[in-house]
Amino acid sequence: MNRREFMQYASLAPLVGSVPNVFANNQNNANQALQSQDRIVLMVELKGGNDGLNTLIPFEDELYYKLRPNIAVNNSIPLKSDMGMNPYLKALLPLWKEGDMAWVQGVGYPNASRSHFHSADIWESGNLDGRDEQGWVSRALKNNQLNLNGIVLGDNNLGPMAGEQGRSVAMKNSDEFLRQTKYLNKESFDTGNDALSHMLNVQNQINLAANLLEDKLKNARPSPIRFPNSSFGRQLSQIERMITNGMQLPVYKVSLDGFDTHANQRDVHNNLMNHLGQGLASFVQSMKHHKLWNNVLIVTYSEFGRRVQENGSAGTDHGSGSVNMVLGGAITGGLYGDNPNLNEDALINGDLAHSTDFREIYATIAQRWWKRPSPWGNQHRPVMFV
Amino acid sequence: MQRLNFSDARHLVARTALGQEWSIVEQLQNRTRADAVNILLKTTANPTPALPPMTPWNKIMGMSNHSNTGKRNARMQMGRESVRMKQWWLQHLLTTKAPVQERMTLFWHNHFTSSFEKVEQPKIMFVQNQLLRDNALGNFAVMLRKIARDPAMLVYLDGSLNKKGKPNENFARELLELFTLGRGHYTEKDIKAAAIAFTGWGADRAKGVFTYDSSENEGKKVKFLNQWVESGDQVIDVLLKHPRTADHIAEKFWHEFISYHAPPAGTIRRWGHNFRASGYQISVLLKEVLNSNEFWDNRYRSGLIKSPVDLVIGTLRTLPYLRPPTEELVRITQLLGQDLFDPPNVKGWAGGKSWIDTQTLLVRTSFLNQTTRHSKADAHIERSLPNTDGEKVVEWLLPRQPALSLPTTPGKLRLVKALVLDPAYQLK
Repeated sequence: MNRREFMQYASLAPLVGSVPNVFANNQNNANQALQSQDRIVLMVELKGGNDGLNTLIPFEDELYYKLRPNIAVNNSIPLKSDMGMNPYLKALLPLWKEGDMAWVQGVGYPNASRSHFHSADIWESGNLDGRDEQGWVSRALKNNQLNLNGIVLGDNNLGPMAGEQGRSVAMKNSDEFLRQTKYLNKESFDTGNDALSHMLNVQNQINLAANLLEDKLKNARPSPIRFPNSSFGRQLSQIERMITNGMQLPVYKVSLDGFDTHANQRDVHNNLMNHLGQGLASFVQSMKHHKLWNNVLIVTYSEFGRRVQENGSAGTDHGSGSVNMVLGGAITGGLYGDNPNLNEDALINGDLAHSTDFREIYATIAQRWWKRPSPWGNQHRPVMFV
Repeated sequence: MQRLNFSDARHLVARTALGQEWSIVEQLQNRTRADAVNILLKTTANPTPALPPMTPWNKIMGMSNHSNTGKRNARMQMGRESVRMKQWWLQHLLTTKAPVQERMTLFWHNHFTSSFEKVEQPKIMFVQNQLLRDNALGNFAVMLRKIARDPAMLVYLDGSLNKKGKPNENFARELLELFTLGRGHYTEKDIKAAAIAFTGWGADRAKGVFTYDSSENEGKKVKFLNQWVESGDQVIDVLLKHPRTADHIAEKFWHEFISYHAPPAGTIRRWGHNFRASGYQISVLLKEVLNSNEFWDNRYRSGLIKSPVDLVIGTLRTLPYLRPPTEELVRITQLLGQDLFDPPNVKGWAGGKSWIDTQTLLVRTSFLNQTTRHSKADAHIERSLPNTDGEKVVEWLLPRQPALSLPTTPGKLRLVKALVLDPAYQLK
């Protein structure tokens, strides 16, 4: 069996019971495969539906202030073409100036769902019926010869990396993860029903990740960069530790929760923007320090945007059409997509119309960043931020 | 009449009660399906433990009004009281004599979700919990009307902010998407209409009661699912007449009791029809499910993954191991992904395969290892196990043959430990 065959074999989930041991003997091969895959994506999920209009703000548009008398952001940081950034993201302003920040505007999909769960399923699967158990990343990275695609920090939701072929692992904390794996069964077993095959698959992914983490982190040195002492900051700092110690997997994911701002939105949203800005700024600083910034692309996503007009509780209800932020040392910064049009006849039932399909962003990442075929073939054209 | 063998009885108990207590399994074997189901569903007194102390809402408000420190102290106080409420429920789950009613209470908590995280007030979360318990095997239509007036629900889904001229759609949306019809059976316009009909419904947190403020009601007719309605109650009338509501609940029963694979359409139609025809009697639907051929079909046996409550509470009720303190049980169920009174979102816990992921499999294994580790109590535990042979013990604890090989050295405690640590023990 040559290396290629081995890796393919190792990626067939129900068969990998014996892989952890074999893997240990093939450490060098495995590392080579990982190093060739040095283009990293960090996905940042903004859970609850981020208000795009208060993130990237049409600050010259009178309608914006008229429709949002209580919650309009008055002191945005002007970027370009009458669009400004939420002032609580100011820690990221240097990146804009260096051309390392891109915004894709008016992102959505046809007949947008306003259900948190359904829309999150759509964003994560890249499938408009939202019923696919496979995440879009799992599909983009299939057959990539790696036995581990990615790591999710924070919550259990593998999201874009979901599916029995996703080869990804979720953990709250890598140290605790390693402590706990010692109890885990290492033997393979006959499955016979799909609940058991699911368990075996999970067991094997854990054992693979544990071997890799143990190998890479055993001599890890403390990072010179300070991260905010928050759940989001801690997630980022753990990923930073993995990446800077040579665990260059194609994809990592973190999440920041609390964006479902139906009431008294202003302080809540500003606070979230602050967490987002400070956390990512530390992460970027470290990537630059370790000369890895050109290998990393950060992209945010959220299940939907919010209604253009504020509601009666100084908040916003579920809407559509929002913005995604992309950061990276190798990207082409700037604004992409059309500025939001808040005219009544341009809105769809009070929501922003979308001008960019979210899969165009993902197709860009698959084709132009990972150099892999888009999961949607030619159906969605890339956005040229990279 | 076909009678239940030991393994059939274990199957019924493991999916409807909490764990598979030896005495209950023994009691149900050799009976007909219908008899066994009737015995299991017989009304049993279900007194809950004494409630932990809770600070009155007025006092909490008083604390938060003065300063940021006061606000923080108030929040921390509520947080501590929330944890005690979680301990309270776990203690009850561990000791109740009415495990079926308690499982159903948990089922409805996962249907009509609310969380401490949003509601922040343990008192009204308790009121909701008791509402779910009192109606767990009662009437769904009655429960739905009560839930629409439940203070914790009105806070959780912003119903209390839904006012004249400024509708808040949160409650209306989840009422349609999650509580009754399910997605795909209404339009965005129906949600807007329902939100208008419910304007003025609210809650008095201090008293823990429902309020209706007619001056905040829109007072106009709106078209909802093609019918004119002018009040929240009429919205609920329309929803209860809609066949999807009963079908939707029948689908949830299918996933809870039979399989996480999609149900056959004919089965759901039959169950939904009979449920609606009974005027939404939950016990009618449950008996229908438990007497169905699908429930007993070998194809679906051992195909469900135990929930964290099944795993933790079930193990501790079934086997005489030492019980960790309830604070510890709170922590374990949180790590296992089923934090009672704090579901992850309004849709509740997804369950099924998602109970086991790369985080929770590790916690499950550690918990079971901790529980079954050697201790001074071993001799006592061994004596408390049922007096039966090894083969029967396997049949009692596992829904299918073990996935790993069993110990060859004799010893009942060693065998039980191996079975509890076997991957097949995670199934029911």
